[in-house]
Amino acid sequence: MKSFLKGLFDIKNWKKRTMITWVVVLIIIAVCIVLSFLKPSEADMKAMASPEMQEMIKADESSSRKRVTVTYNSLIIVNYCSFSTSGAKEITEKYVGFVGKAFQADEGFGKFAGQMVNYTYRMLGCGENILHGAKLTLFLTTASTLIGVVLGTLLALGKISKNKVLSKFCSGYIFFFRGTPLMIQLFVIYYTLPAVFGFAWRDLFSAADNQAVYKGAFIAALIAYGLNSGAYCAEIVRAAIQSIEKGQHEAAKALGLSYGQTMRLIIIPQSVRRMVPPVCNEFIMMLKDASLVFAISLMDITTISKNIMTSEISYIVFLPALVIYLIITAFFTWIFNAIEKKFSLYE
Amino acid sequence: MKRLTRVISILGVAALSLGVLAGCGKSASDGAAESDTSTAAVSEAQADDAANEAVADAASYDLSNVKLMSEGKLSVGCEVGYPPFEDFAEDGTTPIGYDVDIITEVARRLGLEVNIINTAWDGIFAGIDNNYDLVCSACTITAERQESMAFSTPYIANYQAVILKAGDTKEIKSFNDLDGMTVAVQKETTSDELISDYKSTGTIDVEVVANEKILSCFTQLDNGEVDAVLVDSTVADGYLAKNPDKYIYAYKDETEAEEFGIAMGLQNTALKEAVDWALAGMEADGYIAETYDYWFGVTE
Repeated sequence: MKSFLKGLFDIKNWKKRTMITWVVVLIIIAVCIVLSFLKPSEADMKAMASPEMQEMIKADESSSRKRVTVTYNSLIIVNYCSFSTSGAKEITEKYVGFVGKAFQADEGFGKFAGQMVNYTYRMLGCGENILHGAKLTLFLTTASTLIGVVLGTLLALGKISKNKVLSKFCSGYIFFFRGTPLMIQLFVIYYTLPAVFGFAWRDLFSAADNQAVYKGAFIAALIAYGLNSGAYCAEIVRAAIQSIEKGQHEAAKALGLSYGQTMRLIIIPQSVRRMVPPVCNEFIMMLKDASLVFAISLMDITTISKNIMTSEISYIVFLPALVIYLIITAFFTWIFNAIEKKFSLYE
Repeated sequence: MKRLTRVISILGVAALSLGVLAGCGKSASDGAAESDTSTAAVSEAQADDAANEAVADAASYDLSNVKLMSEGKLSVGCEVGYPPFEDFAEDGTTPIGYDVDIITEVARRLGLEVNIINTAWDGIFAGIDNNYDLVCSACTITAERQESMAFSTPYIANYQAVILKAGDTKEIKSFNDLDGMTVAVQKETTSDELISDYKSTGTIDVEVVANEKILSCFTQLDNGEVDAVLVDSTVADGYLAKNPDKYIYAYKDETEAEEFGIAMGLQNTALKEAVDWALAGMEADGYIAETYDYWFGVTE
């Protein structure tokens, strides 16, 4: 940590390229901060509504049936505000706020910009808890990959161990979870297990919690994804361990190390580097498989984009979805590359 | 050890950037809190209204026998994403639609709060009494379904309808006239069963395209990939009201009505009585008719 910070402040010795990257990043951040202060405030945006719309919003306040939905989305440098009535005859007013001004966004480029802001906001799960959109995707993928790596290491060690029962059990586990579709595993864990054992996932949370069902589903999803990822990671870890030359084992034995010590001190540290690229692969696969949670009532990026497509009859919703996925993937590829580089020092 | 700290620092940077990526994280939670309070405010307002009305009507319902998932709250399973019955408003969180209006009013008349739980259509009925008290999600009442669950009195009638592209002059007087055409339907709906039956029995020679979403059917019709769409008349009303110059109503089979009801557990008779009581009141004072006009806009 110390050396990292030292390197950061020792500007003279920065490599040229690194410095340029930092400067560009800092400029972008600075511009974003300035722009984010310049964008119109929420109150300003909401005041844009036409007099008729204001009247309808007023009327809604005293009525038991709400007709107007006021949407306010703020994405760092731009914000978007829309007023829309429901029903067969829709009336909508849309505004995009940028650099101190609110622009009408009912057609043309304004409409496009407004849609982009609104869709991105919804897919990122802003204004929502962790059970929504990109937050759900990221958390589910990261957590299940972590569970998978830990579980996978144990399973791999079990599979290559000399204990026949343990080895058979681990092989059976891996065979089962790699040989059946994740979707069906998800269904079994969410629907079949509670039916057979007579419990409900939502009972893990208080009955008064409006989100209890979603939280229960999320726990079920986390278990299913973790178990599934464990099976795939087990094979990755096993392959990595077995790719270390036999000579290492023999040398360790000659030095008088036990099997456990050999694994812990010699073999596993060396195999980590070889695990990183396939684990990264597994991570990216998981990222996309996260969309299967739609089957148990959760809304990830893909599900939200499909939902928007149906309700707004709009196909450009997939543009921001692709960009979000690419950004997430690029970011994690970078992390995995960095980890790989750190561990390459051994070779 | 040094290497380890480096890895940790990288992970630290990663975590930080994750925070940045989440970007709107803070305002997000604020927003969530806000929307929570706003829905709470809504239900409070509704509860107030309900209280007033109950006094006015002097006919509030005795809920002491009704067992609910959580006290004072009606949990509703609903596949949000089937406009105009149920759909998310533009803010992406507020469910709106015909079913939503109906069930909210039912709950209001019973003096309950409503909690709509978005659920995938597959397995929606398995969630009754596990995840929610009832399902209000454009469910057709069928004899088969009635064996495993109880339905309220119907709150809307629905027919099978054939939609053509505007300007198409084909005359369709019965489903037999679809002979030789390519027809799009939504997968595993009544429309799908109906037309597949015509095809498998050899009554007519028709090509059936089954889509996941009803929107895909209409897009295929726009693009000329199919000749007609067979769909629930209520859904068709919604689409036609929004796109009056794009599609035309070719045929509506009024001989066979399908009725939509609210599905509940078979054992939950007290809840069924309560819901039926509320629906009867809504039918009597014109709430249902008014809501129908609002969402399907066919009285012009």
